[in-house]
Amino acid sequence: MTPFAPTKTSADAIRGVLDDGRLIVCVGPGGVGKTTTAAALGLRAAMAGRKTIVLTIDPAKRLANSLGLQSLTNDPQKIDLDEAAVTDTTLEHISAATESKEGGELWAMMLDSEQTFNDLIDQYAPDEKALERGRENNIYRLLSSALHGMQEYMALDKLHDLYTGGYFDLVVLDTPPTKNALEFLETPGRAATFFDERIIKWFLPNRDSGLLSRVFNPGSVVLKLVSAVLGESFVQDLVEFFDTFHYLQEALQQRGEMIEFILRDPQTHFFVITSADPRRMNEAFFFHEKLANLEQKADIFIINRVIPRFSPEDIARLDDAALDAILTEEGVDDGERVRSFRKHLETHYARLAKLAMRDRDAISSLATRVGDDAIRLVPLLGEDVHNLGHLLKLSDFLTPLKALEPST
Amino acid sequence: MLEPLLDSRLIFVTGKGGVGKSTVTAGLARALARRGRRTLVLETDTFSAMEDLFDYESPGLEPVAINENLHASNLESEECFIATLRRFVPSERIARAVIKNRIARVFFQAAPSVNEVTILDQVRAFFEKRDDRGRTFYDHILVDLPASGHAVTFLNVPETMHGMMRGIGPIATMSRQVADLIADPKTTSIVAVCLPEEMPVNETIELADEIEKTLGRPLDMAIANMVHQPPIDSGDRPVFEQLHRRVRREHPDVESLFFDNDADKEDSTAIARLVEGNALAIGWADRDREYLNLLYDKLSAPIVEVPIMYESSGADIVDEMGKLFLDGPTSRASSSSATA
Repeated sequence: MTPFAPTKTSADAIRGVLDDGRLIVCVGPGGVGKTTTAAALGLRAAMAGRKTIVLTIDPAKRLANSLGLQSLTNDPQKIDLDEAAVTDTTLEHISAATESKEGGELWAMMLDSEQTFNDLIDQYAPDEKALERGRENNIYRLLSSALHGMQEYMALDKLHDLYTGGYFDLVVLDTPPTKNALEFLETPGRAATFFDERIIKWFLPNRDSGLLSRVFNPGSVVLKLVSAVLGESFVQDLVEFFDTFHYLQEALQQRGEMIEFILRDPQTHFFVITSADPRRMNEAFFFHEKLANLEQKADIFIINRVIPRFSPEDIARLDDAALDAILTEEGVDDGERVRSFRKHLETHYARLAKLAMRDRDAISSLATRVGDDAIRLVPLLGEDVHNLGHLLKLSDFLTPLKALEPST
Repeated sequence: MLEPLLDSRLIFVTGKGGVGKSTVTAGLARALARRGRRTLVLETDTFSAMEDLFDYESPGLEPVAINENLHASNLESEECFIATLRRFVPSERIARAVIKNRIARVFFQAAPSVNEVTILDQVRAFFEKRDDRGRTFYDHILVDLPASGHAVTFLNVPETMHGMMRGIGPIATMSRQVADLIADPKTTSIVAVCLPEEMPVNETIELADEIEKTLGRPLDMAIANMVHQPPIDSGDRPVFEQLHRRVRREHPDVESLFFDNDADKEDSTAIARLVEGNALAIGWADRDREYLNLLYDKLSAPIVEVPIMYESSGADIVDEMGKLFLDGPTSRASSSSATA
């Protein structure tokens, strides 16, 4: 396959991260193939001899299928890499299996926020009784089933376990496509804020002096108000909730600090994944700026689904008479039909070229802001990613397969 | 095409990121406004697409008039929170005290579902707004739902909140009202935007089931966006395939002609690029049709197909889409396209 990129430097940079990085955080807007790209990166790291796990957020059944699995779960599952070597005949010229280094493994898992939260509670509950009390709490039940805004945190919590667990050399983390996907960088213990000491103290100033008497302390205007607005029974549930779960505060705080440490490690890399659509590019740039504010930087911008380099000038370059002659040779008999056939092809090509030019402009404008070397383009292919072979083919655009060193 | 929505005062538009949900929402709003309906488009504290598409700046809560019939706002969650609080506390002074209290702020910001409830409460406030003569102010309110997470979870938050508060207190009462509004198919529509691709189509089919199951109401319309049109009629396909094979024989390296930067751009290879580009386009159109057929098969809601638009600016696409929604055929599109 011919290299498809402004520079080769970006391919080398990706390779370097796959060889030496410990964590790749993939951020970017939704619907741009972020999860598939994360999987392709994981595949290549595994082929380079590293024990790699891809942690995804979106319940994408196709990703599971493309990895040769029925479904992904909240527990790591090992992928059979030998399949990659045989499924795609278009890659016959690259023998993936023989180029793979020893010891590499690819694992995948899908985040289940609810399960992760439950596991966290199981792990830190001081005793069985606290666990039981927690499960019966009205607010806990809501929290664990409608974890709005906690997905990012739960992903990080899972990351913490995978990263510190010692088994994996590299974790590839897929983040949700939200504006606040990077909020965890500012406040890594996002969930810990809910269990903030100040809040807990507010509800539980002195655990021996009776909770409800304190909550409904007439001196507390704010609490009176909270009761008036939220309803007294809700406030009672809240008091119970904090009383039951105050033990989580310390755990979450500690984990938050560890995650902050991990995210600032030099072996942690941020990849922004986007498509060339001008609005997605703006969102990608937003992530770039946000990272800069947090004294981080995006190492690589992967632009997916770039329309091939169709050019409007080709219509002018085209020898109409030659094309008409070919069409006649191929069996279009009537002269009028020949011309109309050609017109259709030209009209449609011109439209594609227009889209292609729009993509190129958006990419150039990003390049002036972040530099050519940070950009890697992946062309829009005619097919979905359905198996490891397709994934391998996709990864060839990220960093060419032929650059793999022979196994030692 | 708009008929199923004309009686809905409240229209929730959902769809995963990247499917053009915001552009479609803007197109629907344009079309309704052109019919003379006073239309409000709301976004929910997000990267605003409408600010680009309608070239305006949202001050945070109060809608801005784009033109006589079209208004827009990007509902900032903190502003919504303040607005909700002000509706419930006895005095503005106390509301401010709560808002200024750091601990209270941390608590409400971290508490789950508070954002969703206050945003939906603000939607309800616009829904109930009346003019000087007591008539409803907005004929239609379109809500561009957040791209991430599940629309059903979002729309079910008021119901969950009501349950969590055991139905007691003003927020529980407000949640009940919002939940009832969402569940009422006479006033409210839910529209799902998707692409004719495998994952979005399957997700839309699942979404329709979940809306029925969780919210107890149907999905009202699915809009398949960016549908690729085949460049040539189906009768011309055999000839095109011969042409394509011939190009591949004469230019075995044709992919490099557009994948490679330094590719030779000679006139002699222009035909090869033209044919290869059209071959790619035919492949896209075929694949789209396959997934659209699946959608027609499994979904009972009306489906509207929006062809891919080649305009270069988002604002132009919204205009074009508005025209399509306004003048397009009213019946459910046929599952077998004439040209496929």
